Amino acid sequence: MRTQLDNVLREVEKVIVGKRDVIEKILIALLAEGHVLLDDVPGVGKTTLAVALSRAVGLAFRRIQFTPDVLPSDITGFSMYDKASGEFIYRPGVLHQANILLGDEINRASSKTQSALLEAMEERQVTVDGNTYPLASPFLVIATENSVGTAGTQFLPYAQMDRFLVRLSLGYPDHQAQMAMLRDRQDRNPLDDVSCVLEKEELLSMQRAVRSVTAKDAVLDYITRLTMASRTHEAVRVGISPRGALFIDRMAKAAAYADGRDYVTGADVQAVFRDVCAHRVLLKEDSVTTAEQVLDDLLKKVASPDRHGFGAGLKMK
Amino acid sequence: MRKRWIGFAVWLLLAAGLYFFENNTGTRIILLCSALFPLVPVIRGAFFGPDEKSPDMEKVRTQQTIRALTTQEEDEPGDVRPYRPGDPVRRIHWKLSAKRDQVLVRDAVPVRDNEEQDRQEDAATARRSGRLRRGLLRGLAVMMPTCLFLIFAVPAARCGGEALCNRLFAASEAVNAYAYERFPVPESQSVTAAAVLIVLLLISLAGLTVLLHSRLVTLGVMAGCTLFQVYFGLSLPTWANVLLYGVLAARMLKRPFRRESVLLYATAVLVASVLTAALLPGVDAATESASEAVRDRVSQMIGQLTGTVAELPEGEMQTRHVYTQSLQTGRREAVTEREYRLVTVEEEQISRPHWVDVLRIAFLLLLVVAVLVLPFAPFLLLNSRRKKAHAARKVFASGDVNEAVCAIFRQVIAWLEATGHGAGNLLYRDWAARLPALLPAGYPDRFSQCAMAFEQALYSDHPLGEEQRQLARGLLRETEAALWKNAGWKRRVLLKYWMCLWE
Repeated sequence: MRTQLDNVLREVEKVIVGKRDVIEKILIALLAEGHVLLDDVPGVGKTTLAVALSRAVGLAFRRIQFTPDVLPSDITGFSMYDKASGEFIYRPGVLHQANILLGDEINRASSKTQSALLEAMEERQVTVDGNTYPLASPFLVIATENSVGTAGTQFLPYAQMDRFLVRLSLGYPDHQAQMAMLRDRQDRNPLDDVSCVLEKEELLSMQRAVRSVTAKDAVLDYITRLTMASRTHEAVRVGISPRGALFIDRMAKAAAYADGRDYVTGADVQAVFRDVCAHRVLLKEDSVTTAEQVLDDLLKKVASPDRHGFGAGLKMK
Repeated sequence: MRKRWIGFAVWLLLAAGLYFFENNTGTRIILLCSALFPLVPVIRGAFFGPDEKSPDMEKVRTQQTIRALTTQEEDEPGDVRPYRPGDPVRRIHWKLSAKRDQVLVRDAVPVRDNEEQDRQEDAATARRSGRLRRGLLRGLAVMMPTCLFLIFAVPAARCGGEALCNRLFAASEAVNAYAYERFPVPESQSVTAAAVLIVLLLISLAGLTVLLHSRLVTLGVMAGCTLFQVYFGLSLPTWANVLLYGVLAARMLKRPFRRESVLLYATAVLVASVLTAALLPGVDAATESASEAVRDRVSQMIGQLTGTVAELPEGEMQTRHVYTQSLQTGRREAVTEREYRLVTVEEEQISRPHWVDVLRIAFLLLLVVAVLVLPFAPFLLLNSRRKKAHAARKVFASGDVNEAVCAIFRQVIAWLEATGHGAGNLLYRDWAARLPALLPAGYPDRFSQCAMAFEQALYSDHPLGEEQRQLARGLLRETEAALWKNAGWKRRVLLKYWMCLWE
């Protein structure tokens, strides 16, 4: 499994240079059957990344550019009256054609469009005019939010942010990476070199395997204590929801699987905690810290699962 | 608020303990005066304004801050300064901020007219006087029952205590007389043994205090003084005890008050005062005469047994006769001093309810048991720790390798922690980078391997192999050897006896 993921990473890295950790996290989110929110400035390669990923895994890719006049029916599909047959015929929307869907600048869409997309993300099915249509599997939404030029935008409400598994940020490439990128694109498009190294069926079986990764009570207890502590932290207004705890568990399982193990350790939880929870923590207005600092603080304060339950053997101090 | 009441209860106990064996007018006056103690903060508040640190004032200040943050202020052309985190959003000067491309904030200039100021001052005065009245009432409400209790209840209890102690002393005298008769002990030997016992006790106490780094020294001194008083029947000046309590309080009550220290202090004071108050009055003039009576009675009994005295002497019979008569007529005349004493003892027995005696005897027995058991408590504690450590070590050889590896690795961690080389709340796999240089070469690598095995044992269902157990055992041996070699003698004592890591 590790080699397969390495192959995918290598293929994607042909196009996106020097962002191995972010690509890996997106892959892990894909394995965990979650969705990704990318918080970035324009032009750092979000679309390219999504295209390369879909090609390397052999998935269908669609992209939708959100503007205030994109309607819910554009993504979910709609029923149209067919004069010849006298019946309503369902026209599938963009959701049905994609395994990987890139929703660009989701904060520019109207709130009803946002909620239509997020509902589909959660339930993996679409209901139009009383009929339910399941979506393709696997299904990964990569939504982006631009942090500049936010005039006239609708920020995602907290309740909808909560539905994304992770929030990541690509960030600018460093000097060497940018040089490499420029060199690669002199006479050809490196996207063409990306070949499919992982079949869709393999990916689906990997997702099933992730679900059967062992998470012992020690780990679940750790996740619970972390989330509970986030709710009582002095700088936090709204802490991590139970859904957030569930997502930490899923992401940690996928991370363990990606590391070649079939059991979750405390280190997996710590590795994914920041990415999964940074957008789930609402700070108080007068606090001067950031969500990341609060999460680091929690990791430092909450006793790690290795230590917790130390009394089982020899009690110290 | 609750802490204040605990403090008050402690003070009350102290006062009651004092009252128990200082029975003159001067002390009573001092006690009555000290009943005014709870009023001190109130009076201070009345003359010097409210206490700035009190929680009430904290609340008032918070409310003021909230009001200041939320009320809309007039659009004054006051000073403008750059935004700092924490400034209220309402105070941002949007127009100027837009013009200068920098977030600016109107500086807080509290503009208030005199009328409002006056009104606020009036309100503050009214609040203060209201608080004074409430405080006075509260103080009176506490003071009155206290004084009543001290004046009426305590002397009666004291008499009861003395009577009980007389009985106990009499009984012990009888036993002593019998014991001296049957088991004669050479003087010198018994003194040596007692001295050795006392020295042993002192040494164990001192060792314990060194081991614990605690405040037991003062406790020990106090307990020692109390026992000294009880044993020799000496009444050290009351003020010496008060001084001891004061020293205890100063050493134990760290600010801000912690609940356990207050509790510990209260318990210590309670035990000390009860011990002195319950046992001390027994050893005074009344007891001496009681023991005389017992000796008389014992010699009389011996006389009766050996047949030298055929019947009770004339005087005794008369005494009893007078006693029964006085019960019937209510008269209390006594012919001789001894007869008088007998009469009073009997009267006490009739007038006092029986269960009071039973309760006091039970309480005294409890105290005696506590005094007997307490010196051995440290050894019991150490022994239980040793047993626990042995049980933990037994797991090292258990059939379940996973469990064994976990236990061995945790022992390694315990060693590192106990010698101050632990890395706190980090996951164990991350400790390797922070291990000290004094450990042998290649140690961090072996530590990492072992941490991985530990994680596998802890988080997965895969059974580990025997070689992992050997690896963990080797690591533990290495850790023990290196850390033991580098530990000072204090640390070694700690490791061996308190942590029980070394056998």
